[in-house]
Amino acid sequence: MPELRSFLSGGGDTAELIRAHDWASTPLGDIGSWPQSLRSALSICLRSATPSAIFWGADHLFLYNDAWASMLADRHPSSLGMPARKVLSDIWQTLQPQFRTVVDKAEAVNRVDTLLVRNLGGATFDSYWSYSMLPVASEDGTIGGVLAQARNTTERIMRGRRDALMLRLSDRLRLISDEDELLAAAVEMVGEEMDVGRIGYAEANEERGVISILRCAVRHGMSDSSGEFPIPKFGDSINDDLHAGRVIRIEDKAKDKRLADPGVRWRYDAMGVESALVVPVVSGARCQAMLFAHHNETRAWTAHEEALLRQATEQIWRELSRARAETALRGSEQRYRRIFEQAHDLILTADLDQIITDINPAVAAAIEAPREEIIGRSIREFVSERGFEQTTRMLREKVEQGGTTHHGLDVVARSGRVMHWEVNSTLTRDKDGRPIGLHAIARDVTERRRAEERQRLLVNELNHRVKNTLALVQGLALQSFKQGRDLDEARAAFQDRLAALAAAHDMLTRENWEGATLAQLAQEAVGHHNAREERIMIEGPDLVLSPKAAVSLVMALHELGTNAAKYGALSAPSGRVTLGWRVADGERLRLEWRERGGPAVTAPGQRGFGFRMIERALASDLAGSARIAFEPEGLVCGIDAPLAEAAPRAAA
Amino acid sequence: MSLEGRRVLIVEDEAIIAMTAEDMLEQIGFTVAGVAASFAEAMAAVERGGFDVALLDINLNGVASHPVAERLQEIGKPFVFATGYGSAGRGGEYENVPLVTKPYRIAALEAAIKLALGQSG
Repeated sequence: MPELRSFLSGGGDTAELIRAHDWASTPLGDIGSWPQSLRSALSICLRSATPSAIFWGADHLFLYNDAWASMLADRHPSSLGMPARKVLSDIWQTLQPQFRTVVDKAEAVNRVDTLLVRNLGGATFDSYWSYSMLPVASEDGTIGGVLAQARNTTERIMRGRRDALMLRLSDRLRLISDEDELLAAAVEMVGEEMDVGRIGYAEANEERGVISILRCAVRHGMSDSSGEFPIPKFGDSINDDLHAGRVIRIEDKAKDKRLADPGVRWRYDAMGVESALVVPVVSGARCQAMLFAHHNETRAWTAHEEALLRQATEQIWRELSRARAETALRGSEQRYRRIFEQAHDLILTADLDQIITDINPAVAAAIEAPREEIIGRSIREFVSERGFEQTTRMLREKVEQGGTTHHGLDVVARSGRVMHWEVNSTLTRDKDGRPIGLHAIARDVTERRRAEERQRLLVNELNHRVKNTLALVQGLALQSFKQGRDLDEARAAFQDRLAALAAAHDMLTRENWEGATLAQLAQEAVGHHNAREERIMIEGPDLVLSPKAAVSLVMALHELGTNAAKYGALSAPSGRVTLGWRVADGERLRLEWRERGGPAVTAPGQRGFGFRMIERALASDLAGSARIAFEPEGLVCGIDAPLAEAAPRAAA
Repeated sequence: MSLEGRRVLIVEDEAIIAMTAEDMLEQIGFTVAGVAASFAEAMAAVERGGFDVALLDINLNGVASHPVAERLQEIGKPFVFATGYGSAGRGGEYENVPLVTKPYRIAALEAAIKLALGQSG
């Protein structure tokens, strides 16, 4: 029958099934008796690539094409020829009025992305559909059936939802830098979207063998299960999946073989879990973390839910890593800030115009100005003109050649005090390597330099004094060993003079070369003559003599004492000497050495070195005059010197 | 060049050293025109004149004697620097001024003064 062939021909596998079906026993009757209107409509339907179906007759018997057959999955071909109320029983309540509209009113019904809650094979799930139902007129003009075309848009709708959730998550999470707050927001948002009893984020520590549930969002009466759990309790095969990064899907705890071990199932019981979906995060060949959904009823997790959990996991992991890195950075920034604040070194940052952008307290202290009066000002204000030329040149050098410059710089404090800083400075760069400023670490070496200068002067001074002392010794030697003198006598005189000179130095060293009192000096120079009885009366006020005056006076008194012991008052048992001094007119030192009771005095024909030295040395070193007179009672030596030269401290 | 009777002004703050220099100069055959023991005395002595050549200590009681040297150059009197600081401390502008270091050696002193007198013509 070419006619029959033609209306089923090209209709694919389902057409063949329709041809082979025993229609005689159905209300549709033998296929040969089908009205032309049904044949035409079915022919269109079978040739369509869109899922298309015919619902014919009073019971809306179900005929469909290949595309619809694949939507039916295992309910095909058993659904063929069945009444609509049976094959669409789970949604018949929704669809029946729509069938009526089409059949009774001959009106088309069109729906776009409409929600149909399906219940198939014991599982309830949301599905979205776009469909149209069109009336097909039969030969008598009444509506014989319905031509339906349907498309399952669930996947598109769900993807849209997931995208929307990911966008919301991203918007929210990226603004949060606190780890706990971030996790709380994340699990709450995912839990709300999925409408499950518990969404939680956990971290795995395979070394320690524990899983820590950091945060949970609960609903449907489930409890928060945050805390630490040993990994082995979760069962071996589940551990393997976690380790390998495979999603764990438990739809019905009671039927899941992986949870058959009572020791494993106990953990799920304790947490009130009937079904679970777990997405692990694997990094560095280890399971690091996981996002899980727990529910207190069995649940056939949809592809959408799994995809959603996967995407959410990835995003939470990423944002959490970011937040932790930020926290670590803040921590290290705080640490460096403390070092910056407490450093004794001078730390400063500036922009490329040499405007100071930050300083540490050490800089503020050195400049003698508060921080806020320094920041925002040019480096120029705090260095010499030459110093600024130098920093400008250094900056140019760094911009052109990179690296660090090291230089000495004169820095001027607010008070005008000039410091010398040793400065190390480097450019700071943005993430593309472009210079954006400079930072400098400096040390104030003013004191060190001053100390070095002092040291240098001291060494020079020491050298000078040593040479001077050698020259003095040379003088003493030359004078002591003048031609014609008895060698033994000369040698003794020389030794005594050296000893007197050494004693003067000793005393000055003891006094730190700041001078010595006249009484001390007198004692040092002539004290030995008083060893057995007091032959020299020493008397006068306390006066500190300058070092030079002190050395000179000791030498002079030594010569006087030696002369007195040899030829003068101290050479006779009854002879005495008075050594006295006073301050006259508040500004002059008057000192007198007066001998009496010695042998008859005669002035020596040729004045010896001793007297020459006394007169000359005292005159020059004390800037005064010394006069030796040979009076009948004994020798008298008078010294008159300005106090300012001899005893500057007393004068001041 | 005869040294006999040439008059030397000694500028030296240390009396014993000055006396040593005096003795040495006299031994060589000079006449000591005077001894100035301080900067002020030295300036006064230079102005007074009555000497042919000066032996000038670079450091007078801690005061540099350069102004004295300057004055001596101005009036065209030759001079010799004396110092305890080694050969340093003469200053660039006096590079050509003879220098004797303390303690003195009589030969060095004689050579330096001869040189100074020779330079002045």
